[in-house]
Amino acid sequence: MARALLTRRQWENLLVNGALILVSVLAMLPIATTLLISFKNEEDIIRKPPVIFPCDTPETAFSWQDCRWAVEGYQRVLAPKPAAGWPGFKLAGNMFRIYVPNTLLYALSSSLAVVLLAGLAGYAFSRYRFRGHDILLTGILAITGVPLLTNLLALYQMGVTLRKSALPLYNDRLFIIFVYIGFFLPLSVWIAKGFFDAIPHELEEAALIDGCSPVGALTRITMPLALPGLMAIFLLTFVNVWNEFIAGYLLIARNDLKPAMFGLYDFLSQNIINLQVIAAACILIALPVVLLFLFTRRSFFRAMMEGAVKG
Amino acid sequence: MLQTWCARLRKRGLDTLPFWLILPTVLVLLVVQVYPAVYTLWLSLHEREPQGWFYVGLKNYNRLFHTSLFSESVGHTLVFLLGYVGLTMAAGFCVALLLSRNVRFSGLYITLLFIPWIIADIIAGLVFRLLVVPDYGLLSGILQNPSLFLPHGLSVLTAVRPQPWFGQFPFPPAPAMLYLILASSWRALPFITLLLLASLQTIPTEIIESSRIDGASRTQVIRRILIPLMLPTLVVALFSLTLSGMNGVGMIFSLTSGGPGTSTEVLSYMLYSIGWRQLRFGRAAALAMLIALVNWLLISGTLRFTRVQDRRD
Repeated sequence: MARALLTRRQWENLLVNGALILVSVLAMLPIATTLLISFKNEEDIIRKPPVIFPCDTPETAFSWQDCRWAVEGYQRVLAPKPAAGWPGFKLAGNMFRIYVPNTLLYALSSSLAVVLLAGLAGYAFSRYRFRGHDILLTGILAITGVPLLTNLLALYQMGVTLRKSALPLYNDRLFIIFVYIGFFLPLSVWIAKGFFDAIPHELEEAALIDGCSPVGALTRITMPLALPGLMAIFLLTFVNVWNEFIAGYLLIARNDLKPAMFGLYDFLSQNIINLQVIAAACILIALPVVLLFLFTRRSFFRAMMEGAVKG
Repeated sequence: MLQTWCARLRKRGLDTLPFWLILPTVLVLLVVQVYPAVYTLWLSLHEREPQGWFYVGLKNYNRLFHTSLFSESVGHTLVFLLGYVGLTMAAGFCVALLLSRNVRFSGLYITLLFIPWIIADIIAGLVFRLLVVPDYGLLSGILQNPSLFLPHGLSVLTAVRPQPWFGQFPFPPAPAMLYLILASSWRALPFITLLLLASLQTIPTEIIESSRIDGASRTQVIRRILIPLMLPTLVVALFSLTLSGMNGVGMIFSLTSGGPGTSTEVLSYMLYSIGWRQLRFGRAAALAMLIALVNWLLISGTLRFTRVQDRRD
């Protein structure tokens, strides 16, 4: 009897695992095919009917030795040219010469600012009760849900006005960074508040009693403890800005200031037939955030759960 | 005397500290979120002439409603939302149920499942587009085979919408719309799965076990115990999916660009095409206000449910 129960449970386990493996494979399939496409050469891309593996020969349908893997797609995205000095070459393709550095700049600066602002505000919301506390917090929670799309028209007009007004030192870079900060800040404030709520306030009170100033208690006691949480906010914002397309596309006037997602969209119109080039560009742009996620996934899940339950 | 004065000053300093901590956030949000919302309302009531902006009242809304594409877009949006939300919720619930059984490699599964979420919507659209590019996409090889899909094979990116069944309502949808729904669900699934899984794990296993002992069947456990207990999270998931479906536009850009014809032109993409391709800002602002209205209804619904959750804690 006991034995029979055990085998039944094993069966169930097998079934559940099988289903989960199937789901995981389905989830990874589009990415795997993109990876395959990115390593094909042009002749294999434009074959009819299409082949999954470029490994067939006139004699056999599949042989490992005859696979025609190519890095042509990657070469055309990166366009490495020999150059003087270290590292001996430079990447002449627009993607890595212009768009990716732009995205890096936008993502790094806006996530740093978001961490700072959300850290301060989240701390205040977590530790102090003041007039308007609940109303402000609910307001921020409501704004968290507001998507960028409906505000884009007004932001676009604001951008046009600012551009015309010829402010010193102003360019679209500042504007887009500011928009990204404002757009990803509300969620981060909530996540930060959640993280601060989890740190016992007795620690700070002890420091205050021992003669530490409130600011000192914040910077010396609470901030180090909150660092993993702030790191999670940084990562989440970084990935969000990296992946953002529509604002970067519409709010920036000059093409050389636009981010990598625009570069990809532009690639699509230039390489209708060269699927291997599009695939290689997709892999190259997605790879950094996927790697970042794989190495820091615990942080991600914590931040997401903190934010998701609320908004 | 001096001591109390010092204490009061110090207390006042402490009182104003949270204000200074929050001020920058509030300022940024006022400039980037609140002001543009008000400005959009203003834009929707004005029309741009060569001399400047003129007040036109509700004319923009009126013109928008009489655009032939508008009612069609509403139909497309409804079809898309129904498919996208339904498919993602159902699949997310099933995968969350599977993962809640404490399988050995659940961490690995969650990580793998989660990769689609971390990929940008525009990349996801491109990835799915590569599969069905006419003649050369890997799936096109199967779909365009005339012996499998009668009569001429199926081309996702070029096949037009079939004859509608109910008057003008765009149903059944074009293959491109179904494919768009599939791709959007693929990307949204991990988030919903994780949300539902977190909620499932808060349900004590004793409840489920005791009801099983009392003779409840598996479907009864799901229908009578899990779904009622998860209701707040289910509603939050439903609303956040609807919200992202209403406003997500990146995937349409890279997957279909609203085509073929207008068969995947949903309201969010229509906002882009009126605003930035036809440069009719007044009308586009009116459309933005309509989308914002739906957003606000969804957000206030979510707020009500999360407040219920907070009260329960």
